This record gives sequence, C-alpha cells and structure tokens, in this order.
Amino acid sequence: MSAPVLGATDQLATPPVGPAPLAAEIKSGRWADVWRAITRNKKALVGVLLLLVFVVLAIFPGQIAPDDPTAQTYLPGLHPSWHHLLGTTGRGEDVFSQLIWGTRLSLVIALAVGALATVLSVLIGVSSAYLGGIADGILSLITDVILVLPIFPLIIVIAAYRKNSGLFTLVVVLGALGWSYGARQLRSQTLSLRTRDFLESARVRGERKFYVILFEILPTMTSLIVATFLGAALYAVLAAAGLQFIGLGDPNSQSWGTMLYWAQNGEALFAGMVWWALAPGICIALLGASFALLNYAFDEISSPALRVRRLERSRIPKRLPPPTQPSSTEAVLKVEDLTVAYATDSGPVVAVDHVDLELARGEFLAIVGESGCGKSTLLYAIARLLGSPLPGEIVGGRVLFQGKDLVLLEERELRRVRWRDLSVVMQSAMNALNPVLTVADQMRDACRAHSNMSKREIEERSREVLRLVSIDPVHLHSYPHQLSGGMRQRAMIAMALLFTPDLVIMDEPTSALDVVAQRSLMVQIKELQERLGFAVIFVTHDMSLVSHFSDRLLVMYAGQVAELSKTRELFDRPRHPYSQGLLEAFPSLRGPKVRLLGIPGAPPDLARPPAGCRFAPRCPHVQPRCTEAEVPLYSVNGSLVRCVLQESQG
Amino acid sequence: MRFVVRRLGFFVVTLWAAVTANFLIPRLMPGNPALALMSRYRGHINPQSLHAIEIAFGVNKHQSLISSYFSFLGNIARGRFGISLTFFPDPVMKNVLQALPWTLALVGVTTILAFVLGTLIGLVAAWRRGGVLDGILPPIFVITSAFPYFFLAMLAIWLFAIELGWLPQSGGYDYTNTVGWTWAFVSDAVKHSILPALTILITSIGGWILTMRNNTITVLTEDYVRMARAKGLSPWRVMWSYAGRNAILPNLTGFAMSLGFVVSGAILVEFVFNYPGVGWMFLQSVENQDYALMQGLFLMIVLAVLTAILAADAATAVVDPRTRDVR
Repeated sequence: MSAPVLGATDQLATPPVGPAPLAAEIKSGRWADVWRAITRNKKALVGVLLLLVFVVLAIFPGQIAPDDPTAQTYLPGLHPSWHHLLGTTGRGEDVFSQLIWGTRLSLVIALAVGALATVLSVLIGVSSAYLGGIADGILSLITDVILVLPIFPLIIVIAAYRKNSGLFTLVVVLGALGWSYGARQLRSQTLSLRTRDFLESARVRGERKFYVILFEILPTMTSLIVATFLGAALYAVLAAAGLQFIGLGDPNSQSWGTMLYWAQNGEALFAGMVWWALAPGICIALLGASFALLNYAFDEISSPALRVRRLERSRIPKRLPPPTQPSSTEAVLKVEDLTVAYATDSGPVVAVDHVDLELARGEFLAIVGESGCGKSTLLYAIARLLGSPLPGEIVGGRVLFQGKDLVLLEERELRRVRWRDLSVVMQSAMNALNPVLTVADQMRDACRAHSNMSKREIEERSREVLRLVSIDPVHLHSYPHQLSGGMRQRAMIAMALLFTPDLVIMDEPTSALDVVAQRSLMVQIKELQERLGFAVIFVTHDMSLVSHFSDRLLVMYAGQVAELSKTRELFDRPRHPYSQGLLEAFPSLRGPKVRLLGIPGAPPDLARPPAGCRFAPRCPHVQPRCTEAEVPLYSVNGSLVRCVLQESQG
Repeated sequence: MRFVVRRLGFFVVTLWAAVTANFLIPRLMPGNPALALMSRYRGHINPQSLHAIEIAFGVNKHQSLISSYFSFLGNIARGRFGISLTFFPDPVMKNVLQALPWTLALVGVTTILAFVLGTLIGLVAAWRRGGVLDGILPPIFVITSAFPYFFLAMLAIWLFAIELGWLPQSGGYDYTNTVGWTWAFVSDAVKHSILPALTILITSIGGWILTMRNNTITVLTEDYVRMARAKGLSPWRVMWSYAGRNAILPNLTGFAMSLGFVVSGAILVEFVFNYPGVGWMFLQSVENQDYALMQGLFLMIVLAVLTAILAADAATAVVDPRTRDVR
C-alpha cells in the first residue's frame, strides 16, 4: 500500500458516521426490507415521494402542462389565476407550464451526473485501493487534486469557452469533476475490507481480481455507493441550476435554471411577477431536498447509532422482587435485584436479569462468563455508566454503595462519588484514554473535579500513582499513543488509584495484553489491592486468569447469576453444569491431563430467552423439569447455584 | 517534517494542475477556442490588446505547443497574467488584488462564522440527544443545505430590500461614498454585506451542523467519553475536551475541502448582489470574454482554497497530537 497523499486527513478518511458497519445488513436485506426501512423513516418517505412526483412530471409533461411552454401567446406579467396558476412570464408564457416542462432537463441532469460520477468513483476508488502500489499512489493523487480544485469555477471556465453548453457537455463536465469525494471514501472503505477474511479466502481460491471486485467487494458497499450517487445528484442539481442561472446553459432549453435566468433578466421580482422567479427556485430546492433527505435517511438507516430508540418499559416481563436479605454491615457494595434492559427495534431485551450480589470491604470478586452474557452490562450498570455504546437502562433494583442507592442519585450527586470512591478501569486503554490529551492532562482534570489540589500537588500525586504501577514518571506528559500497550494499561490503573477509592471496577483490564504481561499486571493489581485495601469487581472471560487472585467467583449466564462461590470452592467443586463446562474449556496448570471440552452451542438470544433454565438447551444433564419453570438460586454449602440438580442438597 | 514536505508537494501539484487546466481547456475544447478567438480579434483591436490575449493564452504562432506551455508557466510564475480587456489597460493582477479584499471579508468571515456556529450547534444537538434542538434542526438543515445559494439571495433581496426596504439591495457600498477607512464608509459596507452574508451563512451552516452532530454521536460511544463520565468530570468538560475535541478532527479537513464549495456558492451570491468581489468580477470576465482576467481569478480562487487546506492541516496538527508524531 503506498503512502496516501492527503496525509493528516487519511486516518480520518472514512467518515466516522460512515454507513460501513451495517452495509452487510443492507446487502443481505431483500427489497422488502429496504422498502420497510424507507417507509419507517419519515425523512426517507418524504424524499421518495418528492422524487416520485418529479419523475412523473418529467415523464408526462405534455399531459400535465396546460400550455405550450414556449408559446408567447398571453399578456406578459399576468397575476396567478385559474387560467394561469402561477401567472405568466414577462414574455407572455405560462409559468406553470414552463415549470412542468422544466422538470425533465433538471431531473435528467441530476440522474445522469449522479450515475456518471458514481461509476467513476467506484471504478477509481475501488481499483485504487484494491490494486495498491503505484497505481494507488497515482489514482489517489488525482482524486485528491480534483477534490480540492474548486469545481464550480472550473466548470464556469469550461462553459465560458463553450457557450450555450447543452445537456451532454453539462453532464460530462459535472460528472467528470464530481466523482472525487465518493472515490476517496470508497477507497478507504475498500482498504479496510482488503484484509477481511472473505476477501482473503477469495484470493486463496484464486479468483480473478475483476470477479472479486464485482461480486465480493461492491455488494458490501451498497450504502456508500448509494450515498455517492445521491450526493453527486444533489450537487448536479445545484451546479446545473447555477450555470443556467448565470446564462451559461442553453438559454433556449426548458429548465428551472433557465427560467430563473430569464426571470432575473426580466427583473421579475421588481416587476411584481413574483412566481416567475419563486416557482423554479422552489422546485430546484425541493428536488435538491429530496436527494438530501434520502441521503440523510439512508445514513440513519444504515448506521443505527444515529437513531434514537425508546425503551418500552411496559413490555418488560414483571416479577416480584425477592425479600431483602439481611446483609453484613461491612459490605462496601450491595446490589439488589438489579435489572437492565436494552431498547432494540424488536422491543426491549433484558440483559441483566434480577441480579443480587454483595461485596465486602477489600474483597476481590471476579465475574466470568461468555461474551454476551451480560457481565459488562452489569458492571456498567453498577457504575451508572450505561448509555452509548451500551445504551441499556436500569429498569429495576438497587445499587447500595456507601449507604446510598446509586440508581436513584442525581447526576450531580453521583459525580461526587465517582473516582473519589468508585473508579473504573476499562478493557483497552487505547480507547479509554483521550487520544488528544496527555496522561497528565487526564489525571489533572480528575483531580480538579474532586479536590482543591494545587498544580504542584496534582503533579506530585500523578507521579506518585505512576510509580505505584511501576511507570517512570517521565512518561507523565506523554500522549496515550506514545506509550506501549502495557504502559497504557498501567497508566489507566494508576489513574484509577488517584484518590485510593473504596471500589475499583475492572472490565477485562488485561485482555489487550500478551500472556506474560497479563500475569505480571494481575500480580501487581493484587498487590496494590492488598496494600491499599480497595475492593475489586473484575470482569473476565478467562477463568484461569483470576483463579489465584479472586476471593469469590460469580458465573453469569444469559443475564442471570448461574453460580456464586468462593473461588477455590468453585474450581474444586463446580456445581452448575455451565461452570463445569467453563472449567473444562481451560487447561489446568496442575493435575491430571484431561481432554479440553468446550460447551457446544451458543448463549441464547436474550430477546427470546428459553423457558425455564436458560442453560437447558446446551446442558448435558438436562431433565424435563428444567424447562418447566424458572429455576431459583439454591444455596449449597455457602454457594449459590441456579440448577435443579442442587434442589435436594439445599 | 516529511509530512510538511509532502503537504507542500501536494500544494504544488494541485496548483500546477490548475494552471495546466487553464492552459489546456481553451486548446482542447472542440474548435480550439483560443485560436478562434485570436483570429476573430486580429485586425479588430489594437496590437497591444492582441498581445494581452497572447499572453493570457500563451498563444504564439512562432511557438510549438510545448514551448508556449512553458512560457505560459513562466509568465504565471512571475505573476504576469496579462492585461484585462474589461479594465483595459490595467493588468489582471491589479484588478484581482482590488476585488480580493471584498471577497475575503465577505466569504472569509461568513465561512468561519458558519463553521464555528455550526460546529457548536451540532455538538450541543448531539450532546442533548433526542432533545428539542436535536429533533428540529437536522431535518431543517438537510433542506436548507439543498437550497441554491443564488435563489436564496434573490429571495433575500426581494423580501428585505424591495418589500421591506430595510437593507440595500446590491453593491458592496454606496457609490456616492469615497472608499477609505472612514466610519461612514465602513458602516455602509457592513450594511451592504448583511444580506449576502446571511445568504451564505444559512446555506452553508447546515452542513457543519449535520456533520458535527453525527461525528459527536459516534464519538460519544467511545470508551474515553465513558471514562470521562466515570471520572466524575463536569458535563461541560466531558462535552468540550472529550467529545467535542475529538469530534471536530474530521471536520477540520472537511472544512477546508468544502471551502471550494463555499467559494463557488459565493460566486453566485456576489453575482446576484453585484458585490464587487472576486466572484462578481469572475462572472464579468466570463461575460466579456476577458479570458486573461478569468484565468487570473480562477488561479486566485484555487490558491485561496489551497491556503485554507494548509491552514486546516496546521490546525489538525495542533488539536490532534497523533498527527504530529506518527508522520
């Protein structure tokens, strides 16, 4: 891949709100789905209807228009009446008829330019990215040069030499200059696709490049291609109208821009022939708006992040809360009956289902489970950090921390608790640290928010916590991207310890590291925890990682607690079949050699959880009664287990 | 450093492409308008003007295409754009430099204003997701961004200048005034600029609002924003230093690139308002077939856009530390 030309802009070349992520959704969707998406989106609907009206006008002007648009048979400057809906022009033509006949040229230019520009940008953008090397270098240089050349003045220059440029010139020039933006986006989109598995496999199968581009790459970029078309069409509408308006189009052609040209020359607005000027302008704006609305709606349809969904609480199944159990007084955190739901297009999905847990001061609790079992959602619900990208909402339960129910706290009161008493360490420091601020900046704003420390004190404290996690304080004023992966992760932990909080919530803080670095970081976390005495909730999908560090283990499955035990106990005697399955999925360090078995199947779709025990469909010990009713948590020797097999023991 | 060199290289290549397009277009068009024009003028105008056209086109019957191309490049490099026919015998450069401040003041100030306002509104709209601002503004600005500049300009003149009579309907200043830094002149010039400025503002602000809103919505899903909330920072600080500062990065480049578009729109606005800037003069030159002036102005516009892009690069480097190090 050659170095792209636009330098600084390149890493941002893909629009952040690109339709990319859901391109596949559209690709696999049938026309019916596309139609449903359009009718559900008001902007799309208005856009489509407007466009349809113009298409009809463009096809049947002779049937719709009452008069010959060029016949100067009436009195000039007539006011609107039943005979002349929009009055007459200064030359005695019927404005309404001219308007309808003008639709055709304006629409044809828009569609033709859109098509030409789209074909060019696909050809150049995709092949540039796919071919790579020198070809890519040259093609993207051309793209970038044309992108920054002011197109409209250039078109005027061309039109100036070719007076009265007709339809063909206009389309060719607008199309030949309007492709660069789309090409650039398509190029970066293709670049990001190049290394994907399905293309690799096509290459391994030895398919021809042409075939790969046509049948493997293009279908995944449908939404981007549509956006390119709509953007170019919109540009063509405005540019063509502009050219015709200043008299560089064919003054005898029937188009809205030409109408405006004559209206301006005839001083329509001064002479009271208001509609002569207003009507074509409004039509240009409406046609442009229809393309713009479609473009915008398409963006919304293809990237769901732009849509706002509301949670329909009434559709969440209700259940009676269990009686509150007496708790030990030294609990630092007590979660009662916590329920979290997500709004999706097909109704609410309960991701955390009536979870209870308690955490003693200085305790290390690990939460394990497969991805999608609700462990991260639980974690961020406890910290009250739900919202995009986890747009869940707490719909029931309490989170008692320092005697306060965090669920009910106002955002302002919550801010006082945050970081001083409860801090968070996230999965990837690369994403969790602000890329445009230094580590020092990010420590400073936390200190400023919660204390009156002076600049010196903040600097001192920041150096101190960096030393705690064995980072040389010279790195304090570095930007996150200047640190190594392990250092970033440690810096984030250091940041979490600025105020030595009571509770640190950790969401897979080691998963971005290699195995050796993982171990050493775990040892360090444990050491700090014992020295400073904070409690930890540690989410991971790797049970073996926490086996030596956590006091208790919470196994989650499909949004529910499956088993909650002392760590040793759970490793020695896993009671829930799911826990047993998880343990068999990891090699044991000591003990006899056993075959590693995974758990066949996948976690259930939480939109339609199975009746009764949620693990039943994958359980090797499944019995008829498992699916009959919800399984409660049984208490067995101090462990909590959600499995009917434990009924007799309880 | 390599990065700076490459950007300057890009600058030069683009400028060269623009100059070459200027040279080639009159030659490559069917019927070779350049030669046609020369023969049309020969004998009708004085030798001095004929020479002016020769310089503008680089047409010289004793030279081959290649060598006339190079002498054309040489003239451009030395700032010799020839002599304007419209404003004979003033050289093109003088006319361009006269019109430039008007456009810079009008389009420059308005564009920056649109960018700043649009970015702020977009940020706030995304921050208050699903709020009133967020519900109403995007559809409105999707529609205004599809509005033809010149049509809005006509409407503005009709409504505010003709019907209501609040503001002057055309020109950059009252021609009875003498041009200079006097209060009377400046206030009059400002008054004349309100309508064209509003027109440009309304049609160009929508794009900034929409892109900034969408960028911010994406950035709000980033872990660092969640982390900022977890740190208990004030919402203001989260919105500003975490969401806003990252969301604006793609827009800085977009700002520069679409400047070309704004300049294009301004040509039409200046045309409708008879505003004495580069755009109006550009269309005058087209109408009068004053090709030397047209070429000079076109290159001026290219230069302005390229300068803005370099400025945006510099701004990106200031705001985004990653671009400083990696390259």
